[in-house]
Amino acid sequence: MLVPLTTIVVIASVVLAVVAGVYALRARLIDDLLLLVAALVEVLLLVLAVVAAVQAPSVRTPGEGATMAAYALTLPLVPPALAFLAIKEKTRWAMAVLLAGALVVAVMAYRVQQIWVVHA
Amino acid sequence: MPEPAAPGSTARRTRRAIGSGPGILLVLAYGTLALAATGRSVLQILEYFERAPLAYLLSALAAVVYIAATWALVTDRRRLAQVTITVEAVGVLAVGALSYLVPDLFPDKTVWSHFGSGYGFLPLVLPFVGLWWLARNRWERTGPEAR
Repeated sequence: MLVPLTTIVVIASVVLAVVAGVYALRARLIDDLLLLVAALVEVLLLVLAVVAAVQAPSVRTPGEGATMAAYALTLPLVPPALAFLAIKEKTRWAMAVLLAGALVVAVMAYRVQQIWVVHA
Repeated sequence: MPEPAAPGSTARRTRRAIGSGPGILLVLAYGTLALAATGRSVLQILEYFERAPLAYLLSALAAVVYIAATWALVTDRRRLAQVTITVEAVGVLAVGALSYLVPDLFPDKTVWSHFGSGYGFLPLVLPFVGLWWLARNRWERTGPEAR
């Protein structure tokens, strides 16, 4: 379950990064559509946090289960923080931070998958 | 509202906030490292503190520094940003060098050991980018020695 879920999260956050990139090129600021995509990523991350926390004990290598849970529980904090920064900033850099932040989410979700595949 | 994007136009009139414009990427970088360092040091201290107490205490120190630096950038506190980023620069250089000279002290990785190689050397590069950014912004100061 964790592998398909983390894959979906990676895809969704890359989509968010691409949309933010398009907005940056067109010099647009954050709007409802972009917030909706970010909210979708957030919902997926909340699901991932629950699933990963439940599955963490079945990771066999000591410490890795806790690390995976830590990643998964931290992830849902990122999109709200990004939205806050992107709304506060009224220049094109707002989209730059959203783009970079979405890629951070993708990398962290990929790390969760990696820990699961290697150590579970 | 989509302002007519003119880079530098805000800087001419007033000093721009250190966490805005390109500085917002610093906020993201520091925020990410704050999360990473906090998560890692909480785990290390709770799960296996005996394994490398010094390394783990330094991890915790790094976490505090990153949190304070992020806070300073978001709230435009120049003095605090200057101090925390300087501490960070010294920390990553000292801990990085120490981890090569006395590897026994660091049986496990921390954010700053090996000059942050576990994090793509971001912890090594970041403080210098940060200090450069703060210095660059100082030119736009209007009043004498504002915060």
